Amino acid sequence: MIENAALSDLIRTQIPDAEVSIYDRTGTMDHFNLVVRSEAFKGKTLIEQHQLVYGALKPALKDGRVHAVELKTIVAEN
Amino acid sequence: MSDELKEEIAREIASNTILVYGKGTKDAPRCGFTLETVEFFSNFGYPFEVIDVLENVPKREVLAELTDWPTLPKVFINGKFYGDTDILGPMAQSGELQATLSDVFGSAPAEPKQTINLR
Repeated sequence: MIENAALSDLIRTQIPDAEVSIYDRTGTMDHFNLVVRSEAFKGKTLIEQHQLVYGALKPALKDGRVHAVELKTIVAEN
Repeated sequence: MSDELKEEIAREIASNTILVYGKGTKDAPRCGFTLETVEFFSNFGYPFEVIDVLENVPKREVLAELTDWPTLPKVFINGKFYGDTDILGPMAQSGELQATLSDVFGSAPAEPKQTINLR
């Protein structure tokens, strides 16, 4: 279980400019639908973009605060 | 120990053109995302395999390390890691996945839902 603000902060530790939209899929604050928008995704494949976000989420996935993530990444222009 | 797991994984990836590491089996998925992935590939009509790693924590850790991808399911096509349906969905929409699959299998898929018994 993790608060939205803590989740956004975690992503911004690796992707400082990330704009994060969070939707709690189950109401249990551990299954999330995330949309992350950043310039850091520019020039990266979809898989690399997701790996960047998962890299940031690693601690929360490892200790169980986050169980499942449905992820969408958007490349921010300029 | 972890080397053995790595070899096991390499063998599995090499012997299945479409391979899904998930929670539960093809017939009895034990996770919504694994179910979604099974349905996703069922619609394509190409053969695919699902390997259940729900209870195998050491193997899940090795898989996560190998792919930089912490969650299940994990999909491999022709030995290459493709993430999950968050990646494959958009690839299917753009037609990229269909092209990749017909390239890899060298033919169009069998009609979905039609059972073909090859002996």
